[in-house]
Amino acid sequence: MSRSSYHPGANLNPAKDYRRGRRIIAEDPDWYLTLVPRLSKLCLQSIIKNFEVRQMFEELKPSEKEFVQEGLSTSLPLDVTANWITDGVYWKRCCEGRWDLCDVSHYGNSWKRMFFERHMENIIELFIPEVTETNKVLDLVPICKNYVKRLDITQLLPPIKEPQTEEEEDGLELLGNNEGPSIDHFNFNILLSKLTNLEELHLVYRVKQCGMNFEWQMFEMTDRDCESLATALKSCMTLKLLRLHESHIDDKKCRLLVKHLLDHPSLRKLDFSYNLIGDRGTRAVAKLLARSKLETLNMCCNEIREHGAKAIAHALSNNSTLLSLNLRLNRLGDEGGQAIGKALLNNDNNTLLHLHLGGNTLTAPTAIALAKVIAQNKTLKGINLSCNNLGVAGGKALEEAMSYNTNITECDIRQTEVDEQSVSFINQVVWKNKSSEKKKKTQENKSK
Amino acid sequence: MEEVDKDQEEASEPENQQDTRGASEKLEEKSCRSQPQEEQVEESEEIVTPQRILNLQRDLPTLVTNIQTAADAKESMRRTEQEKARRLRLERLENDAKSCEEHFEEITKGWLLANQKRTPQELQEALNNQQKLCSALIEDKKKLNNELQQELRVGDDRFVKDLRKHAEERDLMMERMEEQIKTLTKEYREELAQLEEVYQQESEVLLMKDKREWEQVMKRLLDKKQERQVQRQKEVEEHQVKMHTVMLKSSDKLNTFQLEHSETFQVLERKCLHFDTTSELARLEQEKQKYDVLLHRFNLTQMKSKTVSLKTEIKNLKAQFSSQEEQFAARSRQLPEHYKRNIQQYEQAQKKIKHFAGASVRKFEQMWLMIEEEVKQLVDKVLIIDSLICEQSLGIAWVRPNLPFMEQTDPTQKQAQSSTHQAVGNIDTSQGGQRMMDASVGPTLETDTDIINVNAYKEAKAMQSESAEDEEEGKLTNETLKKVMELLCDEAGFLLEDKLLNLLDPLEKEKQTVVKLGSLLSALGIKVEEVHRLAHFLLKYKPQQAEQTEDVCKESHESISKDEEMGTSCRRHVTSELIDPNHVLPALKSFLAQHVRSSFQHVAARDPSELEAYWESVGNIISEDKVDLWEAAERELNQYHVVLTEISELIPETQSLEQQNAELRMLLQQSLQSIVNTELEMPLP
Repeated sequence: MSRSSYHPGANLNPAKDYRRGRRIIAEDPDWYLTLVPRLSKLCLQSIIKNFEVRQMFEELKPSEKEFVQEGLSTSLPLDVTANWITDGVYWKRCCEGRWDLCDVSHYGNSWKRMFFERHMENIIELFIPEVTETNKVLDLVPICKNYVKRLDITQLLPPIKEPQTEEEEDGLELLGNNEGPSIDHFNFNILLSKLTNLEELHLVYRVKQCGMNFEWQMFEMTDRDCESLATALKSCMTLKLLRLHESHIDDKKCRLLVKHLLDHPSLRKLDFSYNLIGDRGTRAVAKLLARSKLETLNMCCNEIREHGAKAIAHALSNNSTLLSLNLRLNRLGDEGGQAIGKALLNNDNNTLLHLHLGGNTLTAPTAIALAKVIAQNKTLKGINLSCNNLGVAGGKALEEAMSYNTNITECDIRQTEVDEQSVSFINQVVWKNKSSEKKKKTQENKSK
Repeated sequence: MEEVDKDQEEASEPENQQDTRGASEKLEEKSCRSQPQEEQVEESEEIVTPQRILNLQRDLPTLVTNIQTAADAKESMRRTEQEKARRLRLERLENDAKSCEEHFEEITKGWLLANQKRTPQELQEALNNQQKLCSALIEDKKKLNNELQQELRVGDDRFVKDLRKHAEERDLMMERMEEQIKTLTKEYREELAQLEEVYQQESEVLLMKDKREWEQVMKRLLDKKQERQVQRQKEVEEHQVKMHTVMLKSSDKLNTFQLEHSETFQVLERKCLHFDTTSELARLEQEKQKYDVLLHRFNLTQMKSKTVSLKTEIKNLKAQFSSQEEQFAARSRQLPEHYKRNIQQYEQAQKKIKHFAGASVRKFEQMWLMIEEEVKQLVDKVLIIDSLICEQSLGIAWVRPNLPFMEQTDPTQKQAQSSTHQAVGNIDTSQGGQRMMDASVGPTLETDTDIINVNAYKEAKAMQSESAEDEEEGKLTNETLKKVMELLCDEAGFLLEDKLLNLLDPLEKEKQTVVKLGSLLSALGIKVEEVHRLAHFLLKYKPQQAEQTEDVCKESHESISKDEEMGTSCRRHVTSELIDPNHVLPALKSFLAQHVRSSFQHVAARDPSELEAYWESVGNIISEDKVDLWEAAERELNQYHVVLTEISELIPETQSLEQQNAELRMLLQQSLQSIVNTELEMPLP
């Protein structure tokens, strides 16, 4: 850039230096007198140049800040820039320099937050236990902690292969022993307690693009991982959302995690989808549901059967905080379904808005039980019973129930062997409810 | 192992795949799809826009979620199948284990039996049995193993297939999502356009409405305004009228007030003025009196001074008058002397004139004779030349033309006659003049005039014989002449000098007329002898006059003449008949003009026609033909002269040439002689 021509080091070229003394440079078609920058600009440029040595930002005027943000090099060390430069063009440039896709709306429209969250995610995702020094992460903490609100970690690398291969068999053998040699992933214990602003944590214990080196262990969470994570979660008091999916969590691990999550002050959303949680684990989650203020629980695609369902139903009958329950693709069966239906029917303080019981081998009795709920309940807005063999009788029951209902705006009964007529009737009711709801909303908006 | 496989499938669950059932689902979806489209159309017609979008929003995701639910359904089915398979497998394994145990027990029993047997054959047999059993067991196990392995392989295959299907479904989902996005965006755009349209229309309608309202309101406002304005105007006018009346009233009041004031003021002023004027008048009277006194005094002094100056002037004038009288007396004494001297001078001049006249006549005669002689000589010469020309150059016989004037010298004689006649006249006049001169020697003027009269009478008598006029003149009596003369004197008195008249005043009337006539005649340049002619002319003039002014003057003449007849004597009547006193002056004028003319022609035109003829005959000796002839001859002669001159010029040349010839001949002869000599000499030496 032209900056070089004003750089003191540019005196190396005498011809160029000579040119600087001239007012008109005919041989240069791009040369223009007004390109000679102003003193203020030169000052700003020197500020940019010497930003690493001396940080001057807060004293500047907004326009000057803009200029500095435009001019600063993205390669500056983060400990210099992080606390000095506010959210703005500089961070945008940093983000766009590093990643192709940058949807700032996902990060609360803050480029700085986006940069730091993604930076941290990248570091954690590429962290190799016992190879990468933990300081690399820890050094980052004081810089990032003010800006990181969410960590969406899409992979956690296992330790290096050699010991892993040896210990693989041992690991398998010693899975229950809790004493397996270290094939653990990144230890969150050291990190989560320090991230004082962390609100969301998305974790997947898996390896992306493993190729032909596929091993099951790569997609598993070890016991020690679970322990460390549980303690870490407990220490992270600001956490609101925990999403731990596709990480091979079985009952034991689930129990361990839930044990530490009990009485967590801020946790509102819990997502254990696509794991191997069975009835025991579900019972623990039901306990958690009773004791915490969970608003959203997602247990989809697990191994919950009627016992677990009964436990959840029990918890649900006393709960007054849960808004959304997702038990998709489990094995609740009619017993579990009926239990949940009864729980919903009995609980007067019910706040549940969305219920997903898709793919749960439910049949007509559950449908009848739920039809009662639909007919009576005034809060439930969405119910999903797809992929259950409800049959014509169940459909009829639901149809009848829907005729009394005025608040359900979503009712999914696809793949349920229900009669076409009842399906269409239910849909009509749903649409009617939807439109009326919308009207209400608009009226509310208008009244506001 | 299989469970692991299952788990894997579960792990990659979120997107699941479709199956044969899914295909039927698709058809349903399509039907579902077509329905909302129809609805869309209907709704778009109804312009219940949000509903359409809602439908779209509801229906389009179902397409995507359909896949998901289908996958879910399949998954759940798979799970039930797996559970079933697992259960079967477990049962089978249990059965197998049981059978195996049985077999094992059998084998172990067989071992016990083998212990009982002692014979090797039996032992061999038992061993074989045992071996068979073991092998059967192993085979069973192997079989089981194989089956399980096969299942595993099938499971693997299915997994791979599932993965593929997953991929396909994912693609499908993505496609649908994209389509959904497209349709939605399209719909949203349309929606937006429609909304905009609707809003525009609405806004237009509203605008129109508002405009109309606005206009109405404006109209009303304007009307109100106008009304108010009109009201206001009316009010204003009323107010103005009021104001006007008030103003008028007030002004009237003011005027009356002012008038009163002014009246009082005027009265006061008048009084004041009266006082002023009385005082002023008194003052002025005083002043005037003073002024009058002063003026009178001044006039008196002036008058006194004037009288003094006038008195002095009178004295001066008196002195001047006396001196002038003296001067005039002296002058009157001097003037007669002067007059005598002048008369003497005049007589001397008359003598001189007579003398000169005789001398000039003599000179003229001599000159005439001389010129005539010269002319005759010239004529002779011309005739000679003519004869020469005719005879010599033309060869024509010349006849001497008849020249009468050459022989007769009558013209001179005639001339002499006329001249003698003139001379007689002259002599008469000279005689008269001498007589006059003799008479004028007389001491007084009275005698002189008498003499003149007498002379005139005598002369008239003498002239009677010479001309008819004279004879008529003679007829005129002396008295008539006298009367005429008197008349002339009276009428032409203005010609005389005042002084002379003054001088003549004391004299008698007759003397006066004589003196006057004398001075008149002298002034008019009429000689005394011509007085009769004049008188005659005057008498004769009347008829001419009458002819000239017949119509104008006849009556007046007659009336006058009649009047005169009545009051005057018959002589007077005669004279009056002869000439009207009013016509005297014009007659005199005409006479003078005639007289002057005649006196001028006196000498020069005595006999001009005769003289002219004489001189012309002299000039025409050579006729014009002759002149032409002469001219032609001159020309010829000139040419001839030229030739002659040339010849004369050439003569010396010929003479010189002749001389040359002679010289040459001489030279030739000389040369010949010399040659002969040389020839002769040659042999000689």
